[in-house]
Amino acid sequence: MAANFNEHSDISAADLTRLSQEAKAEATPSSARIIWDEFKADKPAMVALVIVVGFILFVMIASLFIDTSKVMQTNIMNYFSAPGADGLLLGADSAGRSIAQQLIVGSRNSIGIALGLTVISSTFGICWGLISGYFNGYIDWGMQRVYDFMMMLPMTMMIIVLVTIIKNYNAVTLTLIFSIFYWEGTSRLIRSRTLAESEKDYVAASKTSGTSNFKIIFREIMPNISSLIIVDTTLSFAENIGVETGLSYLGFGLPIQTPSLGTMISNANDPNNITQYWWTWLPAALEIIILCLSISYIGQVIRRAADASQRQGAED
Amino acid sequence: MSLVEIKDLKVHYPIRSGFWNRVTDEVPAVDGITFNIEAGETYGLVGESGSGKSTTGKSVVGLEKVTGGSILYNGQDITKKANRRKLDYNHDVQMIFQDSLSSLNPRKRIEDIIAEPLRNFEHLSKEDEKLRVLQLLDIVGLDADALYKYPHQFSGGQRQRIGVARAVATNPKLIIADEPVSALDLSVQAQVLNFMKKIQREFGISYLFISHDLGVVRHMCNNIAIMNRGRLVEIGTRDDIYNHPLHIYTKRLLAAIPETNVNQRAAHRASRLAVEEVYREQQDKYYDDEGKAYPLVAVSPTHSVALPETIAKQLAQQETEVQA
Repeated sequence: MAANFNEHSDISAADLTRLSQEAKAEATPSSARIIWDEFKADKPAMVALVIVVGFILFVMIASLFIDTSKVMQTNIMNYFSAPGADGLLLGADSAGRSIAQQLIVGSRNSIGIALGLTVISSTFGICWGLISGYFNGYIDWGMQRVYDFMMMLPMTMMIIVLVTIIKNYNAVTLTLIFSIFYWEGTSRLIRSRTLAESEKDYVAASKTSGTSNFKIIFREIMPNISSLIIVDTTLSFAENIGVETGLSYLGFGLPIQTPSLGTMISNANDPNNITQYWWTWLPAALEIIILCLSISYIGQVIRRAADASQRQGAED
Repeated sequence: MSLVEIKDLKVHYPIRSGFWNRVTDEVPAVDGITFNIEAGETYGLVGESGSGKSTTGKSVVGLEKVTGGSILYNGQDITKKANRRKLDYNHDVQMIFQDSLSSLNPRKRIEDIIAEPLRNFEHLSKEDEKLRVLQLLDIVGLDADALYKYPHQFSGGQRQRIGVARAVATNPKLIIADEPVSALDLSVQAQVLNFMKKIQREFGISYLFISHDLGVVRHMCNNIAIMNRGRLVEIGTRDDIYNHPLHIYTKRLLAAIPETNVNQRAAHRASRLAVEEVYREQQDKYYDDEGKAYPLVAVSPTHSVALPETIAKQLAQQETEVQA
């Protein structure tokens, strides 16, 4: 049969390398290249990217050199030391613990939980939405009833109860507990787009080309909703930092002896701290604001990169 | 034996309503049609929008769940999924879609799009596969630099030719062309149609050519079936349909073809109005009590029309007299 094609086309094996080189020269840039161009065109986003990447790297590496149990030891001599005094860069809290060191370890914990939660819940939510939307019919019906049931559960209450039941929980178990409840929004969003997307002709064309359902879902449809996935994931990462922080603030997140952004912000529960000892809670609050803003900037750039009509970066 | 034999094909869509969401009624999109496609020919399927011609095409390629009837390919009923898989059916039967933009995945490069059926059915080596893609691009008149581009970088006509290249990739025996040129302007239409004809000559492919454009169908097809409200109203050769139409619906479709002869304008208008007059007065004669077409009746070896036998004979008689 190959002979059949050779007969009717002037192109033979001899031309292969020459022609593919010609084609390479004309090739469209890769998506990583497009995203990078987009960052270069948008200075604030570039700054945001440097802040987020730099900060996460710094926190991850610096916390390796900090002994958490030592940091969390009470040191009455440093009771509410002001920033700069006694060699404490950001001062100390009511137990005389260094705020700067708590901030580094706490950020590692909070960002770690947020990252883990985002990876687990988004992956699960995306798969759930894609499969539910693509197959439609009975599978969709069943999967949506599970979704409805999960939505019906009061999320915060359930997490608080689970945290109370489970004795020795740590960052990993907490991440898993959160993950049970945070995939629903993503799955519904992805499902609705998948429903629309799987009606398009290219899916039908893939079916007639003999591609398996699994491949159509993850190799054909998923790349086409990637902009939605990326935006949703970055935004939910920013949101997930808030999830852990909020619960720790309420006292149901990480144990007291584990520093996190939430436990540091909960210093603001005390009116004295708010008015006099601002250094106990303000750095953590500022950090969350800056991180979340930067992440949403990055998310916007990636969304623009995915949509050719909105691009600001170099053309072609 | 014909390449594909369609027997009493039915595709009904359920209407669900009420509290329990039960099936309360059905839309008969395709309601019992029978025709055969011979190897190497172009079979035209014509009708207004909503007449069920696209549904028929999708059933033949295996995209639509069939309610009743059978589609025989090599003697096997391919309305069953197991049979399709056993035969590697889509290796032999491919489809060209109406909307060239939405039928090409916007996130894939042209190489991957055209190679998709090859990867699933032929498992060539990397070099052979690339060579085949380049040859296919050459056959549809595109340059090699299309290889690593994305669909949105091409014009409508180029995109449709990429669609044709993908359909031809596995060297199929039958291609369902679902209004392949209706979204293109006239000059590009001719270009794509000529590529399709060229490929048919070279590879001996059959087409099921679905269209509402009778001019295009006349250019492409030897045998034509006219569809109306989910049923066939007339089957015949090109000559039968264009020169001796019997059913009023065929006559109306033909009357709707625009004529460019300005001098004859009044005459054309009069003939169109005459057809419309007949339709209005004699509608009951051509459709049964439910407003559907009658079963087909043969009036000559090639020509069948959906009318009660007496009327069909009488009309055929009239037609031959007019000719004489």
